[in-house]
Amino acid sequence: MIAATQAGAAFAGLDSRTTPSKTLISCGALGLALLLAIVVSSLVGSEQLPVRAALCSLASFGSTPCGLTSDQFDILFQIRIPRILLAAAVGASLATAGASYQSLLRNPLAEPYLLGISNGAAVGTMIALVFFGANEWGRPVLAFAGALVATMAVYRLALGRAGATPERLILAGVIVTTFLSSVIVFVTTLMDATRIRSFTFWLLGDLSGTSTTLLPISIAIAVLGTILLSLNARSLNLLMLGERDAFDLGVEVRSVRLIIFVVASLLVGSSVAASGSVGYVGLVVPHLTRLSLGSDNRISIPCAALGGGLFVIAADTVARTIIAPRELPVGAITALIGAPLFIYLLKRA
Amino acid sequence: MKVGGTFYLFPTLHNRKRLLLISFLLAVCVATSCNTNLKDRVQEPAARVIADDSGKRVALPPKVDRVVSLAPNLTEIVFAVGGGNRLVGDTTYCDFPAEAKNIAKVGDTLQPSLEKIIALQPQVVLVSTASQLEVFTRQLQSHNISVFVTDPRDLDGVFRSIEQVGEILGETEKAKLVVQRLRERSTVVENTVKSTTPVRVFYQLSAEPLYTAGHDAFVTDLIKRAGAISVTADVPGAWPKYSAESALAAKPEAIILPTGGSMGEGNLTVAEPLRKSPAVTNNRVYKINDDHLVRPGPRAVDGLEEMAKALHPEVFRR
Repeated sequence: MIAATQAGAAFAGLDSRTTPSKTLISCGALGLALLLAIVVSSLVGSEQLPVRAALCSLASFGSTPCGLTSDQFDILFQIRIPRILLAAAVGASLATAGASYQSLLRNPLAEPYLLGISNGAAVGTMIALVFFGANEWGRPVLAFAGALVATMAVYRLALGRAGATPERLILAGVIVTTFLSSVIVFVTTLMDATRIRSFTFWLLGDLSGTSTTLLPISIAIAVLGTILLSLNARSLNLLMLGERDAFDLGVEVRSVRLIIFVVASLLVGSSVAASGSVGYVGLVVPHLTRLSLGSDNRISIPCAALGGGLFVIAADTVARTIIAPRELPVGAITALIGAPLFIYLLKRA
Repeated sequence: MKVGGTFYLFPTLHNRKRLLLISFLLAVCVATSCNTNLKDRVQEPAARVIADDSGKRVALPPKVDRVVSLAPNLTEIVFAVGGGNRLVGDTTYCDFPAEAKNIAKVGDTLQPSLEKIIALQPQVVLVSTASQLEVFTRQLQSHNISVFVTDPRDLDGVFRSIEQVGEILGETEKAKLVVQRLRERSTVVENTVKSTTPVRVFYQLSAEPLYTAGHDAFVTDLIKRAGAISVTADVPGAWPKYSAESALAAKPEAIILPTGGSMGEGNLTVAEPLRKSPAVTNNRVYKINDDHLVRPGPRAVDGLEEMAKALHPEVFRR
């Protein structure tokens, strides 16, 4: 597998076939698919809506109800659309964070969930819930802090004499993940029973508690983060050759690394604060985009953002309809789809 | 089984001596004509057998004087039938009656300590629903501790639990009396609300995430008896996580917020999707002590009375 990435890295570094037009076409196609997914998923749910009226109302961006009753209108625009947009933001955040970690750390398994970064953000969110329960802003801020601390810890632990080898990195990730998991278990046992119930559901990844205050922030961070990471795509391409080679080719390795760590932590932090730990998105989506579109980060990062949004929207649509009117946590679905898909990809690659 | 254990009791004996010992034990066995096997002799003779709610037939000694309760409703039932002095262990959730707080704690309902339970040497452990693991039950049984499971899904189930616990403790008469009184009170409520139109109620267990009471929750039956219909009465399971849009579409006429009991303050605000419901616009959101609604014990009838009075004040005004 490592050999495969190195080959891929070499390919990416020397790749000159990618042109802006190819980026535009592939991303445009994925963008259309995402838009389609938003529309289709907003038409399904535990309550039936008249399709034509709902479509008409969607086309008018909610300015006319097109014959929807006020309840149906509220279901569409106050429950479904915010939740779908949050799913898109969370998916985009996790997928781009995963894609950039994989390139920066030259490790196909680098993923927010497996590296313990999601857990770092979860601990941050938990601290915010326990100490500043009423203040919604505390959650993303502390989740970001937690993600950043976890990232730094994993990176430090992974640094050996020979640099951060892929094996050391995954081991460090496992150590940080298990340590933070026990912190989470410890704190949840100290919480009172009502809080545990909401917390355990949230830990598995849950989009039902879409907060109107946090939604715009999640979307803004997802968009800004994707843009920032895409701007560093060139450096990331060169970093896939190895830090020394990248440095020789004029990449400011330290500052690029810091930017990626901070931006990716911000992305992971905001999505965990909004929806808990949705696993596998940062792993499956970047691999899928790389396999189908090549490993040039200038393409794979923006495409991973769109693909991530698509993946989480699809998973959440399943989560909220399959046993309606009851609901499953979306994290259960992403893992259920993600794990077999990943095994298939590994076998094929 | 016991013979196997004997091997380990004398691990230093030579094979021949072991053989001798076994033949001796066999001889004893033959001499007593083997009418009781060794396992039965360990337990007291003439054990009673009572079926519990999991369908299991539980063997019990004729007189039970050491009981551990693993749920607050069962602790309340034990005290109600007059068995409080025989309760040797309960959980940190058990806070009613006040005496229950002074009993040795074996952990909470979700994570009781097996060691502590065994150290208390109970004859019976009372368990609520299947919250405890299969393994847990087996381990207790291997220490000759019977595990009795209760799983009340309606008020009659609660009454059955009271009678079962009474029977276990040899307080059958007392338990019957308790049930009779509770039944009378519930009948009064049911007769009073009979003439009213049922109110469509949403039971909000928690707002975020949105949890409610489903088909298997005993409070769903309580709501029905209080002259109302839970809009989630047909949702499978006891405490399902509920879809926000279905909650909005349900348009309940009243909302019940269980709060203020031992779970503490909390659950004081109506969930976002319910804020435009008739219940909110008509100011029919009722906060009711959650200990009376989530604990299937004697105080469930208090919960029934409180709900009925809140939902149908017109017929209770005197």
